[in-house]
Amino acid sequence: MTPKEIARSRRNQRVNTVFITILLLIVTFIVLWPLTHVVAAAFTPGSSVANLPVIPFTAGVTTDHFVELLTETHYLRWFRNSFLVAIATTTGTLVFASLGAYVFSRFKFTFKKSFMLAMLILNVFPAFVGMVAIYVILLRIGGLDTLWGLMLVYLAGNLPFTTWMVKSYMDNVPRELDEAARIDGASSFRIWLTVIVPICKPILVFLGITSFVMPWMDFIFPRMVLRSPENQTLALGLFSFVTDRNNNFTTFAAGAIIVAVPFIIFFVFTQKMLVSSLAGAAVKG
Amino acid sequence: MSLVTEPLSDDAVVTWPEQAQAVNPNVVLLLAMVPGLAHLTVLRDRLKGAAYLLATAIFVYFMVVHGGGAIYNLIFLGEPQPDIPIRERDNSLFMLIDGVMILAVILIFVALYIISIRSALKTAREINIRGYLSRTDKRISNVADRAFPVLGLTPTFIMIAFFVVVPLVFSALVAFTNYSRPHHIPPSNPIDWVGFDNFAQLFGGDHLWSGAVVRVFIWTIAWAFLATATCYIGGMLMAVVLKNSRLRITPFFRAIFILPYAVPGVVSLIVWRNMLNGAFGTLNRTLEWLPFFPDVVNTPWLTDPWMARFTMVMINLWLGFPYFMLLVTGTMTSIPAEHIEAARMDGASDWQVFRKIQMPQIVFQTMPLVIMSFAHNVNNFGAVFFLTGGGPNMPDSTTTGAGATDLMVSWIFNLTVNLQQYHQAGVLAIMIFLIIAPFAIFNFRQTKSFKEGEI
Repeated sequence: MTPKEIARSRRNQRVNTVFITILLLIVTFIVLWPLTHVVAAAFTPGSSVANLPVIPFTAGVTTDHFVELLTETHYLRWFRNSFLVAIATTTGTLVFASLGAYVFSRFKFTFKKSFMLAMLILNVFPAFVGMVAIYVILLRIGGLDTLWGLMLVYLAGNLPFTTWMVKSYMDNVPRELDEAARIDGASSFRIWLTVIVPICKPILVFLGITSFVMPWMDFIFPRMVLRSPENQTLALGLFSFVTDRNNNFTTFAAGAIIVAVPFIIFFVFTQKMLVSSLAGAAVKG
Repeated sequence: MSLVTEPLSDDAVVTWPEQAQAVNPNVVLLLAMVPGLAHLTVLRDRLKGAAYLLATAIFVYFMVVHGGGAIYNLIFLGEPQPDIPIRERDNSLFMLIDGVMILAVILIFVALYIISIRSALKTAREINIRGYLSRTDKRISNVADRAFPVLGLTPTFIMIAFFVVVPLVFSALVAFTNYSRPHHIPPSNPIDWVGFDNFAQLFGGDHLWSGAVVRVFIWTIAWAFLATATCYIGGMLMAVVLKNSRLRITPFFRAIFILPYAVPGVVSLIVWRNMLNGAFGTLNRTLEWLPFFPDVVNTPWLTDPWMARFTMVMINLWLGFPYFMLLVTGTMTSIPAEHIEAARMDGASDWQVFRKIQMPQIVFQTMPLVIMSFAHNVNNFGAVFFLTGGGPNMPDSTTTGAGATDLMVSWIFNLTVNLQQYHQAGVLAIMIFLIIAPFAIFNFRQTKSFKEGEI
C-alpha cells in the first residue's frame, strides 16, 4: 500500500469509529430511556403516569411507594407465592426433563420417533389454548385455587420444550462416557445422576433460568386458577396497579423494580455463560 | 497318529444337531394377544409379564366401570333437561372432557398393547438365539435397572398427556360443536355436535366473521415475519458492530443492550404501554416539550390501527434484539479468527469480512432458532395482550372480538375469556396448528439425530 492509501484507510477507520460510536449511543439512549423513566417513577411522588416529569428525577424524590407496597398491599405474600411456584416448577422441570431426555437419547423403544415429533409440535402451542379443559381437569383433581395446581400446569407445559432441548444437547455427549460407567457396573439411574446431569449442566442452567422466568411473570394461568386473595402472585398483583380504570404507575414501577433488579444483576453477570449456552443450543438444535 | 489320518466319520461332521427352537414364535404371538401372558409363561420374564397383565386388568376394569358411559356421553353430549334443576342437568362440557380423557386412556392402552407384543416377539427371538437369560440378569437391582426407561419417562408422559394433549384435543373438538354464549353453555343447556358449521361461518358464511379471520390471519403472518426479521437483523447488527468495533468499552455497551432481555417482558410491555399512551404518555409529552416538533400533538401510538401495528413491531424490536445479539455473538466465537485475519491481510474491508465470512456462518448456524422464533412470534400473546390489548377496535370488533393488532392467539383468548365463543376459538386453534406444524416438522427433520437416522 502506498502511504496515501494507508492514510485513506486510517481516515476511513476513524470515520467508521465515529459512525459506530454514534450508532451505539443512539441505541443506548433508546434502551435506557423507558428504563430510566421506570426507575424515576418509583421514586417520584404522585401516582399516575400523566403526572410524571418529562425529564426523570425532576419532581422530587420519595420512597413512599416502596413503603406503601410493603405495608398496604400483600406484596411480600405475592412474592412468596410466585417464588414457590417458580422454584417448584424449575426443579420439577429440570428433574423430569433430564430424566426423559436421557431415556430419549440413550434408549431405543417403540414409538420413540412419534413421541419426539409430537413433543416438538406441542412445543409451539401456548398452553392457554386448552385452558377450558385445564380448568375442568384441575377442578376434578382439586387443584383449583392452589399453588400446586398452578405449578402442575406450568410443569406439564414446560416439559415438551425442555426435554427436547436437553435431549438435543445429550445427543452430542459421547456415548463412551456412560458406556464406560455401565461397564463399571453403574445402574442407569446412577449414570443419569453422576454422569449425564453433570455433563449437561450448561443447558440445564440455561433451561432452569427460562423455566423460572416464565411462571415468575405469567399472568394468564394465575388469573384462571387462583381466586383467593392470599394466593395471588406477583404478576396479578402488579397488573392490578395499572388497569384501565386505575393508573397507579408509580407503585407499579416500585414493585417492578424489586422484581427486575435481581434478574438484571444475574443476566449482566452471567452474559458470558448465556452467550455460550445460546450458541450451544443453536449448534446443537 | 492314526487318529489324525483316520477319515472323519459321519458322526463327527454332525456336531450341529438340529437345535430345536426354545420357544415357538407362533405360540408366543398367540399368547401375547393377552398382554403379559407370553412373558409370564414361555418367555419366563415374570415381572414384566405381571406388569403388563396388571396394566391390562386395570384398563379392562376401568373401561367396564367408566368407559362405556363416557364414550356414550362423548357421542351424544347429554340431553336438554329443562324440567330439572340446573345443578342436576347433564353437563356436556364435563362429558366432552371426560370423553377425551377416556380416548387418551384407550390410546395409551393400544400403544401399550403394541409395545407388549413387540417386546414378546423380540424376547422370543433373543431366547432362540442366545438361550434364556442367566440368573444373574434377573436380580432385583437389574429389574429396577431394566425398568428405568419406563419409570423415567412415565411422569413426563402422563403430565403431557393430561395437561397438554387432552386440553388441546378438547379445544380442537370444540370447533365441531356449538359451545358458545348465550344458548349453549353447560350446565344450563347442553352442547351439540354441529359438524363443520363453525368452519362454514368463519370461512365465508358470515361476512363479519370471515372478514375478521382474513384480517387476523394476514396480520399474524405479517407480524411473525416482521417481528422475527427486525429482531434478527437488529440483533445481528449490534453483535457484529460490537464484535468488530475497536472501541474499548464494548463490554459496557453489551451490558446495557442486554437489559431489555433481562427485564421481565411483561414489565417492559406494561411500561411501554404507559409511556406510549396517546393522551398522557411520557413519550408524547416529551415530544411536545422538545422544540423540534412544534406541530406534533398526541401521536396515536396505540390507538390508530396502522400506527399501533407499527408500534408493536418496534417495541418488539426493543424487547427482542438482545436475544439475537447474544445468539449471534455466541455463534461468531466459533468462527476461526484465522479466516478473518487472512481476509484482512488480503485487504478485505470490514463490510467484506462480514458479508463473505461472518454472515454465512451466522445464518447457517442460527437458522433453526430463527424458525423457532417465527413459530414463537405467531403465538406471541404477551406482545399483544400487554401492549395494545388487541386494540384499537375495528368495525367488526364488537361481534368478533378481534381488534386491529390481535393475533390468532390473543383472539382465541378474547373469544374464550370475554365473549365465550368457544366454538370459534376452537376453529382458530386448529388453524394455528396448521400454520405451525409444518415449521415444527421442518425443524425436526433438520435436527442432527434425525438426519443421522437415530430416531
